Amino acid sequence: MENSATTLIKEEKALSSVRVGQKAMISAIKSCPAELLHKLVSMGIVAGSEVTVTQRGFFGSPINIHLLGSVLSLRSAEAAHIQVQPL
Amino acid sequence: MTDITTTADDDCPKSIALVGNPNCGKTTLFNGLTGSRYKVANYPGVTVERKEGSLPLPHGSCARIVDLPGTYALVGSSLDEKIVTQFLRGEIAGNSTPDLVVAVVDATNLERNLFLISELLDTGYPIVLAINMMDAAERAGIKVYGELLSRALDIPVVPITARTKSGFSTLLNEITKALETPAPSSKKLAWVPPEHPLRQTIEALSPLGPASSDANVITTIGSLRYAWIRAIVRKTTSQSSNDDVPVVSPLDRLLTSRIWGLPIMLGIFGVIFQAIFLWAQLPMEVISGAVDTLSARASSVLPPGILTSLIAEGIIPGVGNVVVFVPQIAILFFCIGFLEDSGYLSRAAFLLDNFMRKVGLQGRAFIPLLSSFACAVPGILSTRSIPTRSDRLATIMIAPLMSCSARLPVYAVLIAAFIPPTLVAGFISLQGLVLLGMYILGVVGACVVAWLLKKCLLWKESCFYVMEMPPLRKPILRIILRGVYDSVASFLKNATTIILACSVIVWFLASYPKPELGYQGNPVQASYAGRLGTAIEPAIKPLGFNWEIGIAILSSFPAREVFVTTLSTIYNISDDDDENTGLVKTLQERNQAGLFSTLTALSLMVFYVFACMCMSTLAVCKRETGSWGWTFGMFGYMTALAYVASFTVFQLGSLFLK
Repeated sequence: MENSATTLIKEEKALSSVRVGQKAMISAIKSCPAELLHKLVSMGIVAGSEVTVTQRGFFGSPINIHLLGSVLSLRSAEAAHIQVQPL
Repeated sequence: MTDITTTADDDCPKSIALVGNPNCGKTTLFNGLTGSRYKVANYPGVTVERKEGSLPLPHGSCARIVDLPGTYALVGSSLDEKIVTQFLRGEIAGNSTPDLVVAVVDATNLERNLFLISELLDTGYPIVLAINMMDAAERAGIKVYGELLSRALDIPVVPITARTKSGFSTLLNEITKALETPAPSSKKLAWVPPEHPLRQTIEALSPLGPASSDANVITTIGSLRYAWIRAIVRKTTSQSSNDDVPVVSPLDRLLTSRIWGLPIMLGIFGVIFQAIFLWAQLPMEVISGAVDTLSARASSVLPPGILTSLIAEGIIPGVGNVVVFVPQIAILFFCIGFLEDSGYLSRAAFLLDNFMRKVGLQGRAFIPLLSSFACAVPGILSTRSIPTRSDRLATIMIAPLMSCSARLPVYAVLIAAFIPPTLVAGFISLQGLVLLGMYILGVVGACVVAWLLKKCLLWKESCFYVMEMPPLRKPILRIILRGVYDSVASFLKNATTIILACSVIVWFLASYPKPELGYQGNPVQASYAGRLGTAIEPAIKPLGFNWEIGIAILSSFPAREVFVTTLSTIYNISDDDDENTGLVKTLQERNQAGLFSTLTALSLMVFYVFACMCMSTLAVCKRETGSWGWTFGMFGYMTALAYVASFTVFQLGSLFLK
């Protein structure tokens, strides 16, 4: 696995805590039930994908992210499984 | 095959499956190819019913084509997605495996769309790939080189624009060629590097499931597929202008804003309810006048007798009083169609998810519930896109509490007769407000029921909400009007079948036996219907209903609109004068005579908010839940709720109005 030091300048955090407008690179999906994992992967949420948080609802949920030319909406509970590195 | 209806199979021996992501324009392509009329919506997962058509091919032959539900992957967990996999495995009854898969992708979102294609390549099916939305891609500065992509995937690739039907002839030629000489792609499992440590594990997995449940395998497969796709997309497309057009338009931002989102949504729905009353007024008066004239003409022109009485007092007012509501239904469906096709409904789901989660549902349940405002039947069908069973059951159970278009005639006639057409605050019609109130009452009831169901009956399952937000776009008038036409046509079909039959039965029961000579009272009360109504009167008296209303309620259990029909038939028979006046006028006269109070009208409306009076809803509930228990449960709890709510309104109202 590539583990370049340059990408570790900013620390990893959960997608659920990324603020609106922030660009980030997905690094891993953690402790996630298989069904949800299949769903996320099929929608393009895999390590290496670039996402931008576009909108958040009341209390931070749902959270909308732009990736691969479309906008996905997910709850912060689901976004908490997704580890990202802010870009 | 001996069945005569399967002769089409003999004419079109080959079959094609249409597969693609939700929102890739698959259904538009299907409609364009088959020339048939179906619903296209701008919401993921709307294609829930299997649609089949016949596709005419260039050399005079044809093929059967099935529009499968939109899916992101072949290993999906929602019912829609499972249907696709089952179909491709040949496990759906009455369908053999298709001879060809026509896959549709959205050119503006190629990477994500190609994930499904990479899975399809592994199945070994011959595939023709249609790259849709070429016009939108061009506007976004995206170029897709079809020939390069065709070589990379080793399948025929045709760029098209389904909305304008461009590229269709090339697509048909490729389909014909592929049907004559099917050639599976050589790119099966091309995304797994030969030396990859998981290669053997992946090869052992069947491409049509069951999928692996090992998190490491799932993420590795995902990463490998996307890496392969990314490399192909880089080689076969180009993005010219990249001046960072905002991914979320200012309008979109406003519609989903934390401050303005909800007020705007309430405003939009408020305008819709106002429109249903204000815009529909004129056409309704015209239709209503025509029905009165027709009825009067019938009684004066036709010789007096049973047949004339049946036509003038039973059929014309019975069917006519329902047909009057066509303008309102058309406006309702126009508005819903507009919101659906523009992509606004997904924004509403986004805004409401927090709230829906509190009552134990998810934002996605919002779409079936909103469809249920038009009719609970498509609403219940569209719950198939909800992946978890308990969420789906809860949504099905509360869907009929959304005030459907069949209730509209009941509300409309009562509101028009009993609520004064005054303006509140100078510009809001009180009638529209009361109507909105009825809709809100149903929604509040639904929330409580959903919450109780999830709390008490349905175990907690892990559930998730991951949804694609389709781009906001200018809705296409043709698509909206087609939806309006379909719903008005089915409403009128109902009016000329069930409602016609009911009005004849009600007329008969309300006219016979004829009262004996010297009988002084209301002739209807002496009839079969009158006796029945009188018999149940003690049970409904606490709700403020008399025997006449009792008959109307009983007769409307198959379909709610019949209430209006029955009431007008009864009043027409019992009125001594030969003149047939509209139901609204008759009700107002009765109100002035102290026979029908405004409180009774309110109690009646509340009864119709909650009561489950629709055979089709119960039938579709049985079909979708597969259980008589849930079906009877739905009927039972709604009837009980209607009784209790109506009782409360009337009793409390009587206390305060004394």
